[in-house]
Amino acid sequence: MEGLLFYVFGGLAILATLLTISAKNPVYSAIFMVISFGATAGIFVLLDAYLIATVEVLVYAGAIMVLFLFVIMLINLRSGEQEGLRWSPLVIVAAGTFLVLLGRAVGDLGGAVTSKPNDLVGSPGLLAESLFTRYVVPFEAVSMLLLAAILGTVVLSRRKEQA
Amino acid sequence: MNLLAVAAEPGAVSGSLSSYLIVSAILFLLGLATILTRRNVLYVLMGTELILNAANLNFVAFTRFGGYELDGQMMALVVVMLAAAEAAVALAIVLRIFHDFGSIDMTRTDSLRD
Repeated sequence: MEGLLFYVFGGLAILATLLTISAKNPVYSAIFMVISFGATAGIFVLLDAYLIATVEVLVYAGAIMVLFLFVIMLINLRSGEQEGLRWSPLVIVAAGTFLVLLGRAVGDLGGAVTSKPNDLVGSPGLLAESLFTRYVVPFEAVSMLLLAAILGTVVLSRRKEQA
Repeated sequence: MNLLAVAAEPGAVSGSLSSYLIVSAILFLLGLATILTRRNVLYVLMGTELILNAANLNFVAFTRFGGYELDGQMMALVVVMLAAAEAAVALAIVLRIFHDFGSIDMTRTDSLRD
């Protein structure tokens, strides 16, 4: 059952991502990207990472994609600027990177994999406990990063005459 | 370590690490191809998000199969916050580029100042 769900979510994620990058209209791309992130959240649930799956839907599929849609609407692209995927020699770079990654993925991973899989469940309680004890410094660093991002966004989006 | 063995494999943990890594690699490739081939800044940003998402999938998969407690999921949490901050700042920059250049074609935005 879980193997079947993996194929469903994995296939959906790849298919939606393909549609995202090949769509000519950015609005369609954003919608397909929401589906892609939703499918990825499903894969996270299969991996017992429940909090990450929730955050994925809330932040990625919710906040970030709403931001994208707002900017797409604000920019209001003319039809001439909506072009499809362009094939160039750079695709070879991407394909080479992919082959390396795929080789690592199916090949021998050495010491990265232990014989006994981790049976910890990524519940909010467990994650919060280590977030406020072992990872309290990265947690504070991220809060500073978010503050800097807020200020940077406000400064950047001001009009010139007001600056 | 065969992709086709995922459905048949018994046990508490579903699938193998490789199958998750393959999906992640494919998503990474699609994001990278978007960044490299598109001239529209919005699509380049979308490619960045796809790449970060693929990295997240790797983190969570290694948490499951690597036996590193929940460190990987913590990293994934940080990456999600990073992606949110990056998207907010980058989209503000995109708006500025559109106002200053009248276009979001990356090949036309070739000057840093007036």
